[in-house]
Amino acid sequence: MNRKMKKNKIFIYIACSTLLLSTGCKKFLEHQPDDRTELNNPVKVAELLANAYPHGNYIPFAEAMSDNAGDKGTTSKLLPNASPWNYVDQIDATSEDTPPYYWNACYKAIAAANYALETIDKAGNTAEYSASKGEALVARAYAHFMLVTLFAKAYDPATAAYDPGIPYVTLPQKVVEGDYTRGTVASVYDNIEKDLLAGLPLIKDQSYRVPKYHFTTQAAHAFATRFYLFKRAYQKVIDHANDAFPGATIVDNLRQWNTTYNVLGYYELQALYTNSTEPANLLLQESKSNWGSSYASYNYGLSSAVRATVFNPGNNPTGKALAMTTKIFGGTETVYNIPKFREHEVKETISATIGDAYIMVPLFTSEEVLFNRAEANAMLGNNTQAITDLDAYLSKRIVGYSVTADKFTVTKATNFFPNVSASDALVATVINFKRQEYMHEGLRWLDVVRLKIPITHVSANGQSTISLGANDPRRLVQIPQDAIAAGLAANPR
Amino acid sequence: MRRVALLLCAIFWAILARADARQANGKPERLDNYLKKIEQAYKVSFVYDAAEINKTMVLDVPTKLTSITESLDQLKQKNISYRLVGNQVILKIVEVPRNNSKKEITIKGTVRDKKDGAILPGVSIREKGTANAVSTNARGEYQITVKDNAVLSFASIGYKTVDISVAGKTLINISLEEDANELKDVNIVSTGYQNLNKKLFTGAATALKGSDVKQDGITDVSRMLEGRVAGVSVQNVSGTFGAAPKIRVRGATSITGENKPLWVVDGVILEDVVNISNEQLSSGDVSTLIGSSVAGINADDIESFNILKDAAATAQYGARAMNGVVVITTKKGRIGKPLISYTGNFSTYLKPTYDSYNIMNSSDQMSVYSELARKGWLNHSDASRAADGGVFTKMYQLINTYDATSGAFGLANTPEARNTFLSRYATANTDWFDVLFKNSLMQEHGISVSSGTDKSQLYISTSYLNDNGWAVGNDVERYTANVNAVFNLSDKLTVNFITTGSIRNQKAPGTLGRVSNPVEGKYSRDFDINPFSYALNTSRTLTAFDQNGNRENFARNFADFNILNELENNSLDLSMLDFKLQGGLNYKITKHLKYDFLASMRYVKSGNEHKVRENSNMANAYRAGYSPDDSYIQDNNRFLFRDPEHPEAQPIVVLPYGGFYNTTDDFLKSYMVRNSLEYDNTFNEKHLVNIYAFQEMRMADRQTRSMIGYGYQYDKGGVPFIDPNIVRQATLSNLSYYSMNHRYDRFAAFMTRAAYSYDGKYSFNATGRYDGSNQLGSSATARWLPTWNISGAWNIDKENFFENSSINKILNRATIRATYGLTASLGSATNSALVLRNASALRPYTNETESVMNIEYIENSDLTWEKQYETNIGVDLGFFKDKLNLTVDLYNRNGFDLISPLRTSGIGGQYLTTANYADMNTKGIEVTISGPIIKTSEWNWRSNFNFGYNKNKVTKLSSPQSIFNLVTADGGPQEGFPYRGLYSVEFTGLNHDTGVPEFINEKGVKSGDVYMQSLDTKYLKYEGPTDPKLTGGFYNTVSYKGFTFSSLFTFSAGNKIRLNPAFSTFYSDLDAMPNEFKDRWTLPGDELKTNIPSIPYLETAADFSGTYPYNTYNYSTVRVADGGFIRLKQLSLSYAIPAKILKSIGANNASISAVANNFWLIYSDKKLKGQDPEFFASGGVALPIPKQYTLSLKVGF
Repeated sequence: MNRKMKKNKIFIYIACSTLLLSTGCKKFLEHQPDDRTELNNPVKVAELLANAYPHGNYIPFAEAMSDNAGDKGTTSKLLPNASPWNYVDQIDATSEDTPPYYWNACYKAIAAANYALETIDKAGNTAEYSASKGEALVARAYAHFMLVTLFAKAYDPATAAYDPGIPYVTLPQKVVEGDYTRGTVASVYDNIEKDLLAGLPLIKDQSYRVPKYHFTTQAAHAFATRFYLFKRAYQKVIDHANDAFPGATIVDNLRQWNTTYNVLGYYELQALYTNSTEPANLLLQESKSNWGSSYASYNYGLSSAVRATVFNPGNNPTGKALAMTTKIFGGTETVYNIPKFREHEVKETISATIGDAYIMVPLFTSEEVLFNRAEANAMLGNNTQAITDLDAYLSKRIVGYSVTADKFTVTKATNFFPNVSASDALVATVINFKRQEYMHEGLRWLDVVRLKIPITHVSANGQSTISLGANDPRRLVQIPQDAIAAGLAANPR
Repeated sequence: MRRVALLLCAIFWAILARADARQANGKPERLDNYLKKIEQAYKVSFVYDAAEINKTMVLDVPTKLTSITESLDQLKQKNISYRLVGNQVILKIVEVPRNNSKKEITIKGTVRDKKDGAILPGVSIREKGTANAVSTNARGEYQITVKDNAVLSFASIGYKTVDISVAGKTLINISLEEDANELKDVNIVSTGYQNLNKKLFTGAATALKGSDVKQDGITDVSRMLEGRVAGVSVQNVSGTFGAAPKIRVRGATSITGENKPLWVVDGVILEDVVNISNEQLSSGDVSTLIGSSVAGINADDIESFNILKDAAATAQYGARAMNGVVVITTKKGRIGKPLISYTGNFSTYLKPTYDSYNIMNSSDQMSVYSELARKGWLNHSDASRAADGGVFTKMYQLINTYDATSGAFGLANTPEARNTFLSRYATANTDWFDVLFKNSLMQEHGISVSSGTDKSQLYISTSYLNDNGWAVGNDVERYTANVNAVFNLSDKLTVNFITTGSIRNQKAPGTLGRVSNPVEGKYSRDFDINPFSYALNTSRTLTAFDQNGNRENFARNFADFNILNELENNSLDLSMLDFKLQGGLNYKITKHLKYDFLASMRYVKSGNEHKVRENSNMANAYRAGYSPDDSYIQDNNRFLFRDPEHPEAQPIVVLPYGGFYNTTDDFLKSYMVRNSLEYDNTFNEKHLVNIYAFQEMRMADRQTRSMIGYGYQYDKGGVPFIDPNIVRQATLSNLSYYSMNHRYDRFAAFMTRAAYSYDGKYSFNATGRYDGSNQLGSSATARWLPTWNISGAWNIDKENFFENSSINKILNRATIRATYGLTASLGSATNSALVLRNASALRPYTNETESVMNIEYIENSDLTWEKQYETNIGVDLGFFKDKLNLTVDLYNRNGFDLISPLRTSGIGGQYLTTANYADMNTKGIEVTISGPIIKTSEWNWRSNFNFGYNKNKVTKLSSPQSIFNLVTADGGPQEGFPYRGLYSVEFTGLNHDTGVPEFINEKGVKSGDVYMQSLDTKYLKYEGPTDPKLTGGFYNTVSYKGFTFSSLFTFSAGNKIRLNPAFSTFYSDLDAMPNEFKDRWTLPGDELKTNIPSIPYLETAADFSGTYPYNTYNYSTVRVADGGFIRLKQLSLSYAIPAKILKSIGANNASISAVANNFWLIYSDKKLKGQDPEFFASGGVALPIPKQYTLSLKVGF
């Protein structure tokens, strides 16, 4: 009996100490296993948002799909950008420069924005977080916009409510695989607009340490011009462009191709083009990509034929060569290139031979704002305003620019683009300049899908051609196979 | 399972058959059979005390039963009386009146250990045939009163039982001899938590005595387990001191985890200083040198190993137990006068020779170079400017050198002059093994003192090891100390303290981390100067010394290089301090209830200094291209700096003076506290009950810090000269010049275990454990995990029917064990909550970078531990009075919730994530046959044969694997295949026109171009697992008088090995080539005769651009060998010096032994051509296990 009581007592002691310990345990076990950071203050939220931008590169596949890429016929071997040039779906999501890699990079950026927004919400949406909230919303809108542009049909008011979009993600995922549907292009556009408009006024440029790598108010307006151009809301394009560059301030923010650039050496131009000190760069982002070291030598790229079509003086409405033409380096077709990208090699050890290659991609430039405003004005029939912008552009592109002789006119446009209205001729002029401007930058593809520009890819020996009609289903990049496996509807093929 | 059942049936059948045969014979009859007959004839039943009446006794009985009384009267001949009650017959022994002529006497004496004369307390002394027994006190003394004709039986666990006739003596002093039979030692099973009576233990475990497995000359105790325990595989992937072997208990349990067994020393889990996975062990990186957690343990201090294998054995470790547990118990002090032991080992290693490798001699090599030159390689313009070059580079550079004063070139550019120059090297035939290896001496001295009284016992040991290095640039010294003290403060309270410490200083060739390059399909390591790799891979045309005997340089990284110079000037100095304090308290609350407290603290500090002196090639490479100026080198030397602020300027030197002083430090602080209660009781002598419960908390803090010291000037009094540009160069590449990080391990566990044994026949065990850890991240739900286990054992030999049957003359011991339970381990994932890490933005200019926060892993709220259900069925059999023991274990393990990379839709923000979704099944069998085959006073032969066979299959997995992942030496996982399978690119033959190898590529097309990063792996050929399926050992020891001869054979089979990569598109004049190059393709048509690819023309190779057919060839079906081998691991002969000689020197015992370790690789696949089937030639600090001869001297005073 005595022993039993004693035993009972002991068990009570154990039970009690266990209880005591278990509360102590909670704290004991709450220790983080390593030096990971916790997302618990405005500074850290802001730092997380540096990752709310896609750090993958769309240029390699977008450029190859567009008519900026010709077959140089250098070799019969498979080359990295052969698949997009031939409109063959790329499925490897682990290699950079592919659509699935870019898809993942966009959603990774969206996740960063969502984790930031969740933290801001939990902290009660206080004022100290408001600039970050603005950045997160706009960045989230941008990543979704790029996804819907590449992986879904271009916005068409008639069909957008039925065209499948891409999943619009607004909450952080906390399980291994979430449950997502594509929605429609219209619903995605609605969400983008909502985020963009909610975020834009909150942005505070002064809150950024390196503003060129974040959505400044200016960059956000630039994004808005692109968005509304796609949405065909032309007045809004003009409004946002004017907000980005009030008055005529845009002229001084264009790349000084016909002056400063014109005297730069190869490496100097390469260094300046994607430098944050260049005022034309409104938003830059680092991106893991082999594009920097390889774009010159890719088999599908700036071939002699493309060079002639795009850059020959006779092939644009001014009749003069733009300044970029003089900076096509390489000497032979196999390596023709304008030095726009400098590879940034990130190494893991002090003397490693190989590292991860990065390039800085200009996501928005002053030129685009100018082009978008010009196009919108032309679409709305404000031809004079459109021409003002085109003149501003040409003043920085024609070497030895003459305000009088080189003044652009509707006639110059209609002469070059006969049989269309004055407005359409101006739009065509904008698109023509844009094609030259964004050689090697992939943005040509955005115009190709938006304006349904037909494309023909002809093999070097001329024996096979691939034609991409206005409504060819291959204009939509295929949804990554892993996303299809997880239940998303594939694009038709 | 079925096989075991069949085996049991066979045993029963044999028993029954024998019993039947007896009955027909009549006359002499066993009592139980006779009683059974009566029972059947008269429908009665017998009641008797089996302890009193031996039912196996034989008595004469009439052939026919006439009446019940007459039949029962026969029992009287054995003094058995009977009483009939109803239909029950009660039997009793009739008390025989004591023979008064036998008087009682009192005997006194002392019991000692025969080996060292130490006093033995707790020895039981029994008067044979009676219940009269006493045991020795703490001073080893006893006193017993017995009849003067009695026989005394002295017994103690771990010692041979001795019977002595009293014959009127009143003083009997006796020495007991240790029982060498390993199985008998296991009457107590140490689980690390408890020392359990074997009757209560139901798991699969193997106990080894430290002295039995100690291999003189082998410094790492983990290597001693090789070939000793069925189911434990030890792969010596590197033999460098401090590098752990790849140890697996019952194979792998995790796809991504470490798969290392848990080491437990004196009840405390031994934490690793750095976390190194089994794959990393073979990488050759510096961290592997501190990879062995037991490298600081002096083998002489080890009393025993217990290897816990199945879920029942490891149940107490719950969620840490999935990979098995190795429990080490160290020596404690013995009661008696101080006993001093000295052990000295003197070892020498054999240099490797070219005989065992397949490498071209210099003249063959030179002829290959000539072909290279003919084919456009090694041409004047390229070779003279080569970053790395041998004799051709040297020749062209001499031709280019014009001496203005003498007006002559370094070498005339004539065919004659060139031939003369080259002929010296063609005949050089440099023996790099001779240059870089030496027959070194390793010495190891250990002294221990053991002493004690009944109140306190003390064991102190210290050891010193010095290995002056087999390979140039390697040496080690280690000091260890160990103090183990036990104080019995009262009958109830005992405290003990263990303090161990070790210090290690080691030198190794300087090395950088290994980098994988999946683009080309190879691993690379910059500035590798591993002597073994260098000897294997460097052309024998190169010479270490020129004609004048001075060191001769060749070009490397555009700078001068001589391996001996580099080994002197580029070195790693590793120092390690490992200190452990441990204290325990044991309080007997009641006779049956015990409280135990254990606390331990361990502190490890390891420092690693990589000293790159200014004369080294690694430092000079940073200056190559300037002085003399050479704009070609300036443009091509990747160690120069192209300033982004001046993009058009020539790259500049950033290390104008000095070298590097790079340091890496690792710290570990770990604490552990445990409270436990143990209730142990026996009821009615039949019911053994043991209940054990504990609560424990552990924490381990690890810190790693590293620093790159730029421009340290070793020659100039150690002053750093730092060019700010070198820091800029690094920071612009986002490389930090210093770093520091931590890992925090917090662990709590609660466990209860109940064991019950009935009459020694049936045992049951149930364990439940609840673990908590912080390793999964800060989510409160993922953190806890319950695990459980149930098990049972049936000792058939204790059953009446068995004891009575005559089969026990053959089979004297039989136990069946079975268990089922859940074990777990922590996986590699830590993202039960969002994992964020800060970093610098990866941007090119300093004004553009900022601190950013990267998402490493998004939250996985379902994250949990890796788990496994294990079923184990085991049989332990003893034949011929335990002369032969057989243990067989069969197991089936179903691993689930295993962590593996998983591809997702990417929409959540993480394309490749880690999740608990993979499953794996493992089946295996383990067999041990052992025993003292011959045991006489002069001859003794013990033998142990064991093997484990283990087959594992990943049953669920969808993680993407690239071709490169699957074809390299470590292999990779795929669903439906082993957890690490080796795959090959299918070789289809050599191209008819060029002799370039062709394969089935990732698209199923015959081609020279295989995209190694492709995730399309369906055209790869599965070769086999990289881990052996079968491993085992055969150990024999024969002793005659003072001589003992022992041998250990180890074997392994069932795995495939990737041959060392020997082929590449281009060979430089530095490369050593294997002899098979002699059979290479040279002319179209050769492809029908040979699989050895051609040396391509320069133009042919130019067409390869972007493809790597020769690298792919290294990973093709023709470059695979079978991994099976048989090795004579150890041979030893020792002689115990006879007592009379010992007396003259005042010693108690002394022995001298000669040991050969790693003696002979008896069998391995011929395709390996000298490549060690265990060793991964990965460069860095990895060295193979050498052949080693040791002379060992042991003296005890």
